[in-house]
Amino acid sequence: MTESELATVADEQEVLAEIADMLAQVLEDMELTATEVGMADTFHEDLGMESIDLVMLGNLLTERYGDKVNFAEFAAELDLEAIIALTVGDLVTYIVRRLGGEEH
Amino acid sequence: MTGVAIVGMAALFPGSGNLDSYWANLCAGVDAITEVPVGRWDTTKRDHPEDAAELVYCRRGGFIDEHAEVDLTRFGIMPNSVADTEPDQLIALHVAAQAIEDSGGAERLPERDRIGVVLGRGGYIGPSMARYNQRVRIAGQLVHTLGELLPELSPAQLDKVRGAFSTQLGSNQPESAIGLIPNLAASRLANRLDLGGPAYTVDAACASSLVAVDQAIGELHSGRCDLVLAGGMHHCHDITFWSVFAQLGALSRSERIRPFHRDADGILIGEGTGVVALKRLADAERDGDRIYAVLRGSGVSSDGKGSSLLNPDHGGQVRAVRQAWERAGLDPAEPDSVGLLEAHGTATPAGDGTELATLATVFGAGEPAVIGSVKSMIGHTMPAAGIAGLIKAALAVHHRTLPPTLHCTDPHPQLAETRFRPTETARPWDADGPRRAAVNAFGFGGINAHVVLEEHAHAAARARITVTEPEQVLRLAAPDPHALAGVLDREDAEIRGTATGSGPSRLSIVDPTKKRLALARKLLGRAGDTRSWRGRNDVWFYPAPLLGDGGKLAYLFPGLEAEFTPNVEDVARRFGFTFDTGGSLVGNTGRHGHAVAQLGRSLDGVLRKIGITPDGVAGHSIGEWTAMTASGLHRAEAIDEFLDTYDPDSLRMPDVAFAAIGTSAERVREALAEHPGITLSHDNAPNQSMVCGPAAEVDAFVTEFRAHQVMCQVLPFRSGFHTPMLAPYLGPIRENADRLELHRPSVPIWSATTAEPYPESADAVRELFVRHLLEPVRFRQLITAMYQAGYRVFVQAGTGQLTSLVTDTLQDCEHLAVAASSGRRTGMAQLRRVAAAVWAAGGPDTVAALESAGTGPRHSMRLNLGSPTVALDTPTRDSLRSLLSTPRTSGLSDSSALDAVAASSPMAAEFRALLHETADTVGTVLAARQHTSPATLREFSTQLRVSVEGMPYLLDHCFFRQRADWPELADQFPVLPATTMIQHLMRLVEQAAPGRVVIGLRDVVLNRWITAIPATELPVTGRPVGDNLMEVRIGEHASLVAELAERHPAESPAAWPKPAEERAPEMTAAELYTRRWMFHGPRFQGVVELLAIGARHARAVLLTPEAPGALLDNVGQVLGYWVVATLPSRASVFPARLSRIRFHGPHPQPGKRLHCTVRITAVTDTTVVAEAQLSIDGRVWAEFGDWTDRRFDNSPQTVVVERWPERNTLSRRQNGGWVLLSEHWTDLASRELVLRNHLGLGEREEYDSLPPRERRAWLLHRIAIKDAARIWLWDNGWGPLYPAEIGVREHADGQAVVHGVCRDPLPQLDVRAAHSGEVAVAIAGPAGSDRGIGIEPVTESVAETRFTAEHPEYARVTDPWRADRDYLVTWTTDEA
Repeated sequence: MTESELATVADEQEVLAEIADMLAQVLEDMELTATEVGMADTFHEDLGMESIDLVMLGNLLTERYGDKVNFAEFAAELDLEAIIALTVGDLVTYIVRRLGGEEH
Repeated sequence: MTGVAIVGMAALFPGSGNLDSYWANLCAGVDAITEVPVGRWDTTKRDHPEDAAELVYCRRGGFIDEHAEVDLTRFGIMPNSVADTEPDQLIALHVAAQAIEDSGGAERLPERDRIGVVLGRGGYIGPSMARYNQRVRIAGQLVHTLGELLPELSPAQLDKVRGAFSTQLGSNQPESAIGLIPNLAASRLANRLDLGGPAYTVDAACASSLVAVDQAIGELHSGRCDLVLAGGMHHCHDITFWSVFAQLGALSRSERIRPFHRDADGILIGEGTGVVALKRLADAERDGDRIYAVLRGSGVSSDGKGSSLLNPDHGGQVRAVRQAWERAGLDPAEPDSVGLLEAHGTATPAGDGTELATLATVFGAGEPAVIGSVKSMIGHTMPAAGIAGLIKAALAVHHRTLPPTLHCTDPHPQLAETRFRPTETARPWDADGPRRAAVNAFGFGGINAHVVLEEHAHAAARARITVTEPEQVLRLAAPDPHALAGVLDREDAEIRGTATGSGPSRLSIVDPTKKRLALARKLLGRAGDTRSWRGRNDVWFYPAPLLGDGGKLAYLFPGLEAEFTPNVEDVARRFGFTFDTGGSLVGNTGRHGHAVAQLGRSLDGVLRKIGITPDGVAGHSIGEWTAMTASGLHRAEAIDEFLDTYDPDSLRMPDVAFAAIGTSAERVREALAEHPGITLSHDNAPNQSMVCGPAAEVDAFVTEFRAHQVMCQVLPFRSGFHTPMLAPYLGPIRENADRLELHRPSVPIWSATTAEPYPESADAVRELFVRHLLEPVRFRQLITAMYQAGYRVFVQAGTGQLTSLVTDTLQDCEHLAVAASSGRRTGMAQLRRVAAAVWAAGGPDTVAALESAGTGPRHSMRLNLGSPTVALDTPTRDSLRSLLSTPRTSGLSDSSALDAVAASSPMAAEFRALLHETADTVGTVLAARQHTSPATLREFSTQLRVSVEGMPYLLDHCFFRQRADWPELADQFPVLPATTMIQHLMRLVEQAAPGRVVIGLRDVVLNRWITAIPATELPVTGRPVGDNLMEVRIGEHASLVAELAERHPAESPAAWPKPAEERAPEMTAAELYTRRWMFHGPRFQGVVELLAIGARHARAVLLTPEAPGALLDNVGQVLGYWVVATLPSRASVFPARLSRIRFHGPHPQPGKRLHCTVRITAVTDTTVVAEAQLSIDGRVWAEFGDWTDRRFDNSPQTVVVERWPERNTLSRRQNGGWVLLSEHWTDLASRELVLRNHLGLGEREEYDSLPPRERRAWLLHRIAIKDAARIWLWDNGWGPLYPAEIGVREHADGQAVVHGVCRDPLPQLDVRAAHSGEVAVAIAGPAGSDRGIGIEPVTESVAETRFTAEHPEYARVTDPWRADRDYLVTWTTDEA
């Protein structure tokens, strides 16, 4: 997928769907759990992810979006409480912003 | 009638010890029916009854055994009177007190003289009366029949039999016979709770409780009472009671109780007690009480001639029901008159049929309503049945929930003629008008009662209560995943009620919602896929067990993590430990570390208690220290002491920071080449490492990694642990580590430094302790190595993310990692998940143990609810057998013709003697030939219950003296003597090895005192370690090796010669006790004569006491006498080890005289080692080798306080009216002795709740205050005062107010105290006096300035125990 193509998919719903796929990998067989990942779900509380799970997610984000999306730096700007409260929507917004930013 | 409000309730029924769990069980539909517990009545010997009365065909019922523990000391009831008191009296007291608490507590009660008690109780025989009957009637009957059958038995022999039989029933105490009078059930309650209204019991068979409620309503309406405790009780599972119901054919032959089932075939007998607190509605509203429900009407009737005594009459029932509704001013035939009918529902065909006819007649058709009967869950609780139903109905109204009834799968056809249907599950109770319920209770002989109750009108406005049921833990097992899938192929509701089943494939689900069940079906439906599922969405599935067959379970103890959110308040409450983090801890390394360790230890205890035991332990970072204590390598106290000895903040290296790096250690190491200042501190998992280094460099390192999209987090710790940077700070740590006492671990412990099990040698362990602080944590390698060693299940004993690290390391290798605490859920909810997970992985089922834990009260006593067949204990049985067989085995009666001539003819006498001898020899030979060689030894495991009720003689083995009538027995600290424990272990070994006796013991190791309050149940395990050797362990308290043989050796060693040099003792044996050289009470006072004492020995005469182990304890007393008479200090000794004991015959009978010689073989600073012989008439009966006593701190100055604490203080009086106390106790064990000698129970709890580092100073301070107060009181004419009698309230400003505990009031005293280092000072005076005191160490500058300065009072004192330390004490008094 080229960068311009990426830009065109930088739409919240599509990013959300991609992240849901990645979460399914990280959390093992997410489709089996039939959990619908929503924008308001928190990684920690709702999805039960530990920091090491976030590392895996970060790896998948890198694979998918390359250098444009740096989850590590994104997370670094947050303090511990903000990380605990981090929602899927926060990540989606960040990714959309980063991908959109590349367009210009 | 005007309404009566239920303002308080309490319940104790099968499966639930309190109101909350009763409601939880009602909602969850818990079936509390079980087999008859052991000890109630003998269920085994009734298979071939020759008499119909013996034919009790049923073995199931409702029992409250696990809840039969009552805290009696709070009611001022002496524990030793409990055994003879009917348990229902004590249970009623306990439950009534709970009902008062539930109504808002004693302070909200109206005037005491206007409070009544009416309780339903049947006139059946209770367990205590049944035991009394055994003593009074059966004992006599037994010897009467025995005498008829064996006329050769002499009256003296028969008396022995009677005595032995009665002794098994415990000692008879005339003064407690009052506890057998039935009406005491109500009167005792009025007496103990100080209630002055009428208090009585009523008996209306199964209608008793509701008749009691009816009476209570009358007492309120007449105005005589303002509050009445009403209810009922039934605690009578006597065999006669069961027999009566069996004869009547009322007991279910299918052993199921199924109210309103088409095929219901009878009752199962239950038991229980329920009490409600009732007030006039207007009063309750005025007082702002919580109103569960309002009683609107009650009705009572008899059947008259309408029925036979056994078969109920529906006309009589109809009268009672209509009467109640009429009094309520309501029409039962209205379509929506009632939402819940709690029926009598006995599940007998006649009973159910008649009751349904009554309901059809009175209520007719109408809005569908729910019918229920709590009997389906707890059995028929007879006189308590009505209150069980009323409490259920009131809770249902209050919680707006309709609870289920069990086992009514095929409803009775007559139900169709009524408006009522049972419900299978709890459901919300929606209603337009007030929710209304009605309760039936119908008794034998045709006595009927009915009560109508409804929601309180003002309750409508309150917030809607949501139905909260405890989460169900569904467990399903099957031979393979396919079969398991079959089990899931049903309706959800059916699955939730499915029995567990068996087989290696296991599935568990916490709170099996529709979604989770769907997930489980999907999991098991995966074609050909047999992967496990490890807990996502609270579902666990393992196709084959991980545990057993080599698979092991480990506890993992977390260290410090950035997030620490222990959510264990509920667990602490249930399991009785305190856990208070005292606010945010992260960043304060010392307190954070303490809290993590405390949580780890608490969870270690909780997990073991519910039955999840580790095969090994390990820890992450400083969690490894917790693992050390969990393994037994170090004592917890020693680690606390260690943590106390250095200030972690002093180790803080300001510039050092840690960071977690979300990648492999390998990748981090590569990057470290560019960052020489930084060290790898943790290799946690393939995707997580940690580094440590100067803060700025760590920041740069982190930024670099983030740029490469690696998640990093700088952590709030600065300790520098696990890096060489700690090396310069290591001195004091190494020093303290070297001092740590090491023990043999009871569980293997693994090191994350070496990724191997800990080494064996003490030096190597100490070395590793230091390496652990300097080298990286290799957690990834540790987990890999443990997996290779067979560990499959990892339970994280704390909060944090070790489970993620384990899973990241083990990936797809089959394993389970589960956390015992999590910030996300309550502690109990999280433990429920551990229980579910461990079970699914093939572990034990611990759900029930978890849920029932801690529901009993503290300091409680177990009530004896049974009157089982009396069995003689083995020694009594054996000695009686030999006694009774004496006249017959020789085959020569004493009155033979030979006897007549033997007196006058020497030849006849000799011949007679020869005949006897020959007969004996032949008998012995024949007996030996008959004797088959005993089977090989087998492992055994059993329990030893240690309590003052079961072992009343322990009240004569208390370490600490208190006032004669002191109510808190725990303050005396009754302790199981080591020798008594040995005696019990020998008995258990002999029971496990029939035909053999213990002839010797080796390697007796005594680790810990076994205390008798609270009562403890200790596991005892035996394991053969040779043909005739059995290794026995009792918990972690002690271990020994017992040597067995078919009989004691015939030969015995020569008695030691009398030592040449010895002198007469300076005191008599009696003085040992009266002068309090020994703390032992009468039942352990077996030393009757001190013969001699020498430089290395002592000799005495012992008179065998009756208490088990007391004779051997007397040997210890003779040794103790030598120690006290010989050693100038540290003369307080307790046994620690015994290398060997040999017995050369059976234990002597009580009253037997023995000679005891003790020879001292070694004396060190910490121990005294001796050997001893016990001889009977010159023949050695027992010999002891290497009896090692441990020495504790005391001195001539302090020993007097130990012996006469009521007249002496550790503090010394100083000129100026103040006292000085210096800490002379140096080790923890000695501190414990001082503590127990000075503090009462409440104060000890206060002490325990302190952070370990604050305890020393607090104790010193507290003792000084109490001593100052006692000295002041003595000076002002007060007599002996024990330290525990002085209560202290300390205020923030340093002032302490003293008050009397459990005694006449003391004058108000103000005490001020201060301490510095190991010295405390205190000054006491009457309340309001203006006193002050201060202390500081004397330094050069202080000495110069203060001694010349003008000051009210000052003195320079030297620490009496540390001559090099001087202090300046300043004080003020208003008398000056």
